Amino acid sequence: MIVIVGLNHETAPVAVREAMAFTKDGLAAALAQVRKDAGLDEVMILSTWNRVEIYGHSEKAALGAVVEFLARYHGRAPEDVEKHLYRLEGEPAVRHAFRVAASLDSMVLGESQILGQVKEAYQAAEEAKSLGAVLNGLRTRSIAAAKRARTETAIGRNAVSVSHVAVELASKIFGDLHGHAVLLVGAGKMSELAASQMVRRGARATVLGGRTFEKAEQLAASLGGRAAPFESLRAELVRADIVISGTGAPGIVVKREDVEAAQELRHGRPLFLIDIAVPRDIAEDAGHATGVFLYDIDDLQKVAAANLRERKKESAAAEAIVEQEVRDFLEWRRSLEVVPLVAELRRRADEIRKAEIAKARQRLGPLTPEQENALEAATSAIVNKLLHAPTVRLKELASSGHADDVGLVRRLFDL
Amino acid sequence: MGSSAYLLITLLLYAAGAMHVLLHAVFRRSSLSSVSLGATLLGFAFHTAAIALRWSEAGHFPAVGLRDGASFLGWAIVLVFLLVHATTRVEAASLFAYPFVFALLFVANLAAASERTDPMLRSLYLPLHVVLAVFGYGALFAAFTMGVLYLFQERELLARSPRRFYYLIPSLERSDTIGGRSVVAGFGFLTLAIITGFLWNHSLQGRYWTGDPKQWAALVAWAIYVTILVARWRWGWGGRRAAWLQVVGFTVVVFTFGWATFAPAVAVAAR
Repeated sequence: MIVIVGLNHETAPVAVREAMAFTKDGLAAALAQVRKDAGLDEVMILSTWNRVEIYGHSEKAALGAVVEFLARYHGRAPEDVEKHLYRLEGEPAVRHAFRVAASLDSMVLGESQILGQVKEAYQAAEEAKSLGAVLNGLRTRSIAAAKRARTETAIGRNAVSVSHVAVELASKIFGDLHGHAVLLVGAGKMSELAASQMVRRGARATVLGGRTFEKAEQLAASLGGRAAPFESLRAELVRADIVISGTGAPGIVVKREDVEAAQELRHGRPLFLIDIAVPRDIAEDAGHATGVFLYDIDDLQKVAAANLRERKKESAAAEAIVEQEVRDFLEWRRSLEVVPLVAELRRRADEIRKAEIAKARQRLGPLTPEQENALEAATSAIVNKLLHAPTVRLKELASSGHADDVGLVRRLFDL
Repeated sequence: MGSSAYLLITLLLYAAGAMHVLLHAVFRRSSLSSVSLGATLLGFAFHTAAIALRWSEAGHFPAVGLRDGASFLGWAIVLVFLLVHATTRVEAASLFAYPFVFALLFVANLAAASERTDPMLRSLYLPLHVVLAVFGYGALFAAFTMGVLYLFQERELLARSPRRFYYLIPSLERSDTIGGRSVVAGFGFLTLAIITGFLWNHSLQGRYWTGDPKQWAALVAWAIYVTILVARWRWGWGGRRAAWLQVVGFTVVVFTFGWATFAPAVAVAAR
């Protein structure tokens, strides 16, 4: 039985999530301990910003013991954390594991980090030797399902945060950003975030500094670019492809004339102006110049919201894919359940066969080697042929979920 | 099976490909594009076989008359777009190519095969000239497509509320680069096509220039693309201005050919 005990952003406030998180260094010891305490055959712990979950497998479900471990490990009483926890076993647990990996259970629907975190969690469990056939099966199937959901639906496509939207728009204009220039006007947190993502995609950064030129120099250094005095705005505009403006200035910083003068010298090459300041830095009519694309913070937020709506629409398709993969996984699991039964059936039949051969030999007296072989072959063939159809049917019944019929076989053969 | 059976199968496969491209555009499922690509590749194989068979049936290079002309033009466009797809992975370009190719093949399937058995058709200049011309116009059609995509994407970006097409269409810079390269390639092929056309005329009639409307049309097209190249490389015209030039240029070329003959495909070859 697969079990999951955990909490996430919906069931627990951030303070509780922090308190219940596992550190990377303590993970191996925690895995060993929960395995012993809760009597689990296999175990994996997924611990991220937004969720802490323990995945386990054992013959008998041990949910209470896992809850107990989770609370005690973090020095809490089980009663205190109980209300934040979900406890799942069997099919709901499997479905949950698949949905988490596919980012259908994430705070930001379709975010891409969770799949990497899930992979790391399984990797850590594997290194701690706490994975077996069942959780390994869950690992491969759920990761494959998550990848399918990502490639076959638009669930993970298109940015849903302001800085990502800015980067995505830039790449819709300039392609891969390699060799393109980003000009930062003012050094705010958000401009830094967007600029660093663009630099990672190959863009070069220039930071314009005013009175606090030191700050501009620091930011330029961290972005691997250069700093320039604010007075060189017009010259820098000619060189830049993307401008991110986020000063705290009360008035307009980049005027229409500045942009038009720059565009004159740029032969209409596209210029992407991003104004993330409130109040705004860039004159609104600067966006009317040819080849200029001006987005302010509201525009970026609108795009992000539209993308999120689009993701929600796609989630139904992703859920369908995940559901199908969950079915396949459960079917595979059930087909494994009859393996011991089949083995037992065969063992029993072989015992009977051997006992009867021994009796027959007593009556027949000594046999030639040829006769021995013939006797052996004939009896084996009878057993095998008789058991062939039931074996096949058993596997079929198990994978289609007819557990009751499997029980009937047990009773029929008195196993 | 004769070449006409192959041509019909080609039409059906291209139709399947076109259907999937449209579904892809509507539902944005990337898994569909592999289906449409598969159908197109298979269709292209049948198309190639159809043309090869037709060549042996007709006894000359099959690019004469409406049926063979449209078929061959369609074949070249598919080849050019498959090359564009293989090198750039730009799927949106096929949105334009598929309906156009489908229409060409539809016409080709309906039209009767030309029965002409002119000695001039046995000339080696026929395949040489036709292949060059068709690839020239195929590449210029690609440039037109990239221009349209550029203007589309620019409009989406200026509207500041991206809709469906925004996600499908490549970046402005990409459309610009591919469009520019297509113009260069198309111009090269067109120049060679005009030269071989002159030589062919000379070998038949002893004159390079015959004043034929098709010659004028080719010259107009050539002049348009010289202008585009000069604008791009000398005046630094990139982006939207180049995109407009590519769109307007190709439109003028199509109209010139429409004027020169009823169907551009025939004009390419039937002299």
